[in-house]
Amino acid sequence: MLFENRKQLSTLLLPAIVVLGLLTAYPIISVVYNAFLSVDIGSGQHHFVGMANFAELFDDFFFVTAIQNTLLFTVVASTAQVLLGLVLALLFHRNFPGRRFALPVIIYPMMISTLVCSSIWRSWYHYDFGFLNAAFVSVGLPPQEWLFNPDFALYAIAIVDTWQWTPMAFLIILAGLQSVPKDISDAAMVDGATGWKSTLYITLPLIQKQILLAFLLRSIDTFKLFDKVYVMTGGGPGNATETLSMFVYKYGFRFFDLGMASASSLVMLAISLAMTLIYAKRVMKGGKQ
Amino acid sequence: MNARVHGIVVWCCTGLFLLPIVWMFGTAFKSPNEILNAGASLLPTTLSFDSWLAVWQGSLFTLISNTVLVSLSATVVSVVVAFFAAYGLVRYRFPAKLDYLFLLLVLIIKMMPPIVVAIPLYSLMNQLSLLNSKAGLILAYQVYTLPFCIWMLLGFIRDIPLEIEEAGAMDGAHLFRRLLHIVFPLCAPGLVATSIFAMILGWNEFLFSLLFIHSPDKLTIPLFISNFMTEDGTAWGELMVIGIISSIPMLVLASYMQRYLLRGFSMGLK
Repeated sequence: MLFENRKQLSTLLLPAIVVLGLLTAYPIISVVYNAFLSVDIGSGQHHFVGMANFAELFDDFFFVTAIQNTLLFTVVASTAQVLLGLVLALLFHRNFPGRRFALPVIIYPMMISTLVCSSIWRSWYHYDFGFLNAAFVSVGLPPQEWLFNPDFALYAIAIVDTWQWTPMAFLIILAGLQSVPKDISDAAMVDGATGWKSTLYITLPLIQKQILLAFLLRSIDTFKLFDKVYVMTGGGPGNATETLSMFVYKYGFRFFDLGMASASSLVMLAISLAMTLIYAKRVMKGGKQ
Repeated sequence: MNARVHGIVVWCCTGLFLLPIVWMFGTAFKSPNEILNAGASLLPTTLSFDSWLAVWQGSLFTLISNTVLVSLSATVVSVVVAFFAAYGLVRYRFPAKLDYLFLLLVLIIKMMPPIVVAIPLYSLMNQLSLLNSKAGLILAYQVYTLPFCIWMLLGFIRDIPLEIEEAGAMDGAHLFRRLLHIVFPLCAPGLVATSIFAMILGWNEFLFSLLFIHSPDKLTIPLFISNFMTEDGTAWGELMVIGIISSIPMLVLASYMQRYLLRGFSMGLK
């Protein structure tokens, strides 16, 4: 039995509706509105320009690069995180000495903040004094430019993101593995399936759902990429690590181009909305009880 | 793979994976001179507390108190507001599936890139004269923490058996008495877990503090780290000391909160 009292219900929901309305609904509506305006900074006058901002956006080399970079980053980083998370989860699914201590420790990277994480890796990538080049040289490899190599910088940031967030994919997939009934894997063993064969044909199909969820959650999150780029490369070299978030930031807070910034925000919102709806479809099926 | 090999492999992977964190702790205790000549060494040859001293003499306490104040206040606001909302969403009958629509909107807000609302939020803060103020930041953080808390608390309230409340309702317990005496105590562990996660969100937040805070006396830790990184090229010792100070509470929580980690990081969704 659920309660029916409408008055009580409105009292309960009102504070949340006010806060969310003011801080998110109103901003989103104004982004949508501004995306179709052109504002003259000097006079403050604005007029309706229809789809002109979007036309300009998709003609803009920097915007197209930002979209490509963001999508590439999203796919590469999320895939890497899910694959590594899967491998770790399979390793941790079986007991081993000290598992109790290793489990809380392996999730440390996602517990330290993105800024701390970026500060460690930015130091590691340093050409002259960085840990990575020192390690490379000590085993006879040539030092690398890392964040200053336009062909590699985006991947260098993807490595940092992967290091930080693999633990999350790991946790989701491990929970999936632990929910597989033991008799299924036992039955497979009796039928002669062992080692990687049993993993590939029996375990993986059973945790498909968790793998997909981990991938979706990580994609939604990697798509937002801002902090790491802001502090590690600032979008460079050139615009090799320019992302959509950086693009909106630059147009909104440096060039004060309200129309373009809003139009690109709207494109971001649409992509994020599409991913969220796919995710919501999978997690919101359950009823109230 | 036999058990022994398996154990060794897992521990090697774990060790390799944690190298950056080991390096962070090592570098914090290296002398500035050693940092530049350290090469691929993780740990200091001689313990040096220079970096700790430098951080201690800096604005450390202002930073910590700013960050704690903002994230704690944002958490309190969110948890209270979300507790009522989540309770309403779980326990009341909605017309036309409006509850699902509401939850979907909240989810969309949680998942959207925060930069999307940054510009209008900036002018809103400007109009309310809340730019460059902690109150403004606390308000802005609701964009992250409130949707998170609503979804997270939803799961915890669902776990409370409805029968207990029905009995209370039949005894004539009024809504707020029911909430206070029945739901709140039963939901307490969930409220604690949710609060801790909301604190973490606030503690680590960067974008809005970057956009809304200008004066040095109002910086939060992430914002300070960002400024430090771009201004002092290779003062990594101090950088890592600040990193450690900002990470220790989280690492302690990681062990304490293990049971809730999955729930927290996927927002109570399974």
